[in-house]
Amino acid sequence: MADERLVETFVELADTLVDDFDVIDFLHLLVERSVELLNVDAAGLLLADHNGRLQVMASSNEHVRVLELFQIQNDEGPCLDAFATGTQVGSADLRAGNTPWARFAPAAVDAGFVAVDAMPMRLRSQVIGALNLFRAEAGELTALSLRRAQALVDVATIGLLQERAIRHQEIITEQLHTALNSRIVIEQAKGLLAERLGVGMDVAFTNLRGYARAHNQKLSDLAGRVIAGQIAAAELVGGQAKRGPGRARRARTAQSTSDTARGPEQP
Amino acid sequence: MTTDGDRNTRILAWVTDHARHSGTPVSLAMLCETAVGRLAVSGVTLLADTSSAWPELRHATDMLGARLAELQVTVGEGPFLDVWREGGPILVPDLTAPVIQRRWPLFGPLAVEAGAGALFAIPIVVGAVRVGVLALHRVRPGHMDAPALLDALAFAELALRLPMGAPDGHDGTAGVDLELRTPQVHQATGMIAAQLDVTMAEAFSRLRARAFADQRSLADLATDLVARRLRLDPNEPT
Repeated sequence: MADERLVETFVELADTLVDDFDVIDFLHLLVERSVELLNVDAAGLLLADHNGRLQVMASSNEHVRVLELFQIQNDEGPCLDAFATGTQVGSADLRAGNTPWARFAPAAVDAGFVAVDAMPMRLRSQVIGALNLFRAEAGELTALSLRRAQALVDVATIGLLQERAIRHQEIITEQLHTALNSRIVIEQAKGLLAERLGVGMDVAFTNLRGYARAHNQKLSDLAGRVIAGQIAAAELVGGQAKRGPGRARRARTAQSTSDTARGPEQP
Repeated sequence: MTTDGDRNTRILAWVTDHARHSGTPVSLAMLCETAVGRLAVSGVTLLADTSSAWPELRHATDMLGARLAELQVTVGEGPFLDVWREGGPILVPDLTAPVIQRRWPLFGPLAVEAGAGALFAIPIVVGAVRVGVLALHRVRPGHMDAPALLDALAFAELALRLPMGAPDGHDGTAGVDLELRTPQVHQATGMIAAQLDVTMAEAFSRLRARAFADQRSLADLATDLVARRLRLDPNEPT
């Protein structure tokens, strides 16, 4: 059953690649499927810029996003180590006190995660980013899950770079730099929407993504059109209605608590 | 933490050194001149936003760079314009390649005729905020190696930190990290654009001006804005 779902995921990811490919949407799909298929509770994906600094590209929920940012801001954590060393790193129990991450470990535990794994995203010798997997229960990730995680990460790397046999650095640079900037366009659109709709950033993102899907648009294109004033903020809330009217209403009422999401609640 | 060390810091030091030796302030022109020497290219061209639809030529280190910029305005196509529209780099190691000649049927042959072999155009951009294009050219075709390409991206990011309005001016903010990896900076920019009903570019410059005035980091100020602990005053000077 799980294998079928894995195959479906690969087909779905491949579809995303050929049909109106959007990098950010693709990476979001990837972290969501990672959670579903790898027996983990949350996932986040980071890519590096030209300066070797990681940027959060996708996360399965806001708590993970906060934790990923925590790693970047504190210059410490499994994702950074996986990126720096090009190898898989992890901890089966962050409460054990034997991890190299004195600041990250308690922050992760506070957010409800006690086990973590990070897989480097590599293309031959070059590491372009990392996938972080979080679990609420202690223990090693199974060998099967690890193999699957590696497969997903490899697909993500190939998908992101849109080319199987990249011979030259130019193409990698074009794709990565464009992807990193697309993420910024989306953050700007989120801010604009959050202000116009009086909602938090995650609700703004849900609206944006819901509309993009309902109207079969690329997420970063849509973000650009929102910024250019070609689509009114209120229309995006309507876009959610197509996927179920209750969803948008719930999203709007969640605004007051959803924004900053730094409490230690379980995701 | 990284394999690259701090590339941005190194690039800023190069430009600062070059400016000091030339006895001039750090400027976009100095940035271009430094890039020519450091990246082993024939010339560097910088285009920046204007009120018109085309990015305007701000500096070219040689005649060929100026010619390449002019050609694209004349024929209405080319890598600078594509970079400007799409916001991602366009790196062309061989302008004579058939795929490139087909991509820009007007610009392609004219660029080769003008004497260009390779052209690497990088956006000076923050999300939807299009500031300009930094372009490197070589008279001979050839790939740029990975470190040089990454350095070129760092030059483009440094160009963001220099005041575009005054090409030879220097307001002391060149060393300030724009913290582009902090999402709150971009979220706050979007919020300001909505609050003040201004463009994203205007919102970003207001955010920077306020951070500079308050002597705070952009990320710190942005976090307060996103948490709605602070709003910018529409009448605040920029």
